[in-house]
Amino acid sequence: MSAQAHTVAVRASGVDMFFGTPDNQVVALKQADFEARRGELIMLVGPSGCGKTTLLSVIAGTLTPQAGTVEVFGQRLDGLGQEELTSFRRKNLGFVFQSFNLIPTLSVIENVMVPLLIQGRPYDEAHARSLAIIDKVGLKGREDGRPNALSGGQQQRVAIARALVHEPPLLICDEPTSALDKDTGAHIMQLVRDLSRSPERCVVVVTHDHRIFRFADRIAEMEDGRISRVVDDPKLLDTTHL
Amino acid sequence: MYRLALNMLFGDRAKLAMLLCGLAFSALLMAQQSSVFFGIMSWTYTPMVNIRAQVWVSDPMVEQVNDAKPLRDTDLGRVRSVDGVAWAAPLHTSFVQARMQDGNFKLITLVGIDADTFAGAPAVLTQGRIEDLRLPDTVIVDEWGASLMGRMGVGPDGKPRSTPLKVGDTFEINDIQARIVGICKVRRAFTGGPFVYTTYDRAKGYTLGARRTLSFMLVEPQKGVTPDELCGRIERDTGLKAWTSDTVIWNWGERSLARNTFWWFWTNTGIPFSFGTAVLLGLFVGIAISGQTFYSFVLENLKYFAAIKAMGAGMGVIARMLFVQAFTAGLIGFGLGAGMAQAIGRAMIEKGMPPFVMFPQILWATFALVLGISFVSAIIGIIKVSRVDAASVFRG
Repeated sequence: MSAQAHTVAVRASGVDMFFGTPDNQVVALKQADFEARRGELIMLVGPSGCGKTTLLSVIAGTLTPQAGTVEVFGQRLDGLGQEELTSFRRKNLGFVFQSFNLIPTLSVIENVMVPLLIQGRPYDEAHARSLAIIDKVGLKGREDGRPNALSGGQQQRVAIARALVHEPPLLICDEPTSALDKDTGAHIMQLVRDLSRSPERCVVVVTHDHRIFRFADRIAEMEDGRISRVVDDPKLLDTTHL
Repeated sequence: MYRLALNMLFGDRAKLAMLLCGLAFSALLMAQQSSVFFGIMSWTYTPMVNIRAQVWVSDPMVEQVNDAKPLRDTDLGRVRSVDGVAWAAPLHTSFVQARMQDGNFKLITLVGIDADTFAGAPAVLTQGRIEDLRLPDTVIVDEWGASLMGRMGVGPDGKPRSTPLKVGDTFEINDIQARIVGICKVRRAFTGGPFVYTTYDRAKGYTLGARRTLSFMLVEPQKGVTPDELCGRIERDTGLKAWTSDTVIWNWGERSLARNTFWWFWTNTGIPFSFGTAVLLGLFVGIAISGQTFYSFVLENLKYFAAIKAMGAGMGVIARMLFVQAFTAGLIGFGLGAGMAQAIGRAMIEKGMPPFVMFPQILWATFALVLGISFVSAIIGIIKVSRVDAASVFRG
């Protein structure tokens, strides 16, 4: 195995993804190639409808592409059955959603416990680990409250705690700051960066929010269903169309 | 995850209340209607309960206890001669009009019992003595009948009021005086009329014109002979029909007159259809309300279930979560509904109307049906969640 292979966390090659019927086909991804490295925070940017979310779903194993290969931490996802994909997500992925998706009828800590309980961890262990990560995201003392009683920024912190509590190698963030103001968004991205920074982890963030580009190690720009370019410096991006 | 599933359920109090209302109402309707149904059906064989004897003998064409086809008096001797009979006593039952002192008429169930043995006499007398039936023109009236046949008058408030009959009061049956010497406590009957006990011979007098007055024979088997065995011997030796008197609905045998009476009313009246419809209505209302509420609960939580799916929960885990939620709601709903049915039943029993018999089997059946409703509700939710694409969580 080459040294490069050891550094690659996510690799998608020649991925095609289309929706609808053959007569009325919408192409979401067209021969898309994407690569994310271990230990990096990479952002996927581009105009609406360019295929960012579809590529994110393919990497997360919630969508199966019609063509191409997807490999996450050495595991080929194409060809896996639904059960295997579910199991793969359970062990390897953490999610931060745009609209947080915190269950309003559960307490903060119960929301954070969900990935551990899905993994079949005992309740007490899940509780202790969740409590520790809630402390890390700065919400100690709020664990028994309901998510609705928290501000948007605090809710997103809970979502981050939930995404990281089971220590997944790949963290998927879908528009994590779109519902937050500038300062809160910056705090959240700083938190993601701090908590997820590890050689054994990779963070993929889909965003429109150019205010947070500075937190990225690299930025992959998408256009018409494919990666058009990857830059190391956000200043090199033309953000007028994003 | 099950603990979280329950917390999700209990966290949405409005939905939970709606869900429990649907299930409780359904359980209440099914348990209460079934209990009233069995109560009414148990009234159909009330004579078997009030007139106690181990074996009843009737005309072979008799189908149920309220439909006596008179026998010849000589049949009594034939039955007494059957091997295994300890004693046999005549019994007369008929529906006759009684004329009250105020000129009003009431339909009564006239019961004529053997004056020597008093076989078939009421078990509990609240006033008077059974032996006084041997006095001329005497009867014993049941407690409820005494108030039904009571004298109409005016109460202290100026409103019409009925004063129950008491020992010493008189009325007429076929223009023959009947003087009350006792008040007894018996179970009310489907036919509704008061029970008026007298001697067999006097009953003959009260039913002038009837050629035959022997409705049934009450028979006691000798020691070591079972009622069932004796029935077989009587039928073989006399050609008459012999019945056992077991009235416990879940344990009665093939020869039980109560059982035959129950099924006669089941097949020849609209009672089962009427109550069956109410029970089915309860079931459908339960499915509709609970199914709809649970579906709406699932719909409201759909994006969270999709998120849980995306995080790696298989459909098996989610299905079990939904079953836990539905069955927990079902259990609580059943408890509330059955409790309410029991409370209503107690109130009914105190008033005596309508009859209410809640067998454990009714509760078990209601429980099973409520769980069935919960199962259907859960399945509806599972179908909905199974169709949700985990990728939908990325679509905002």
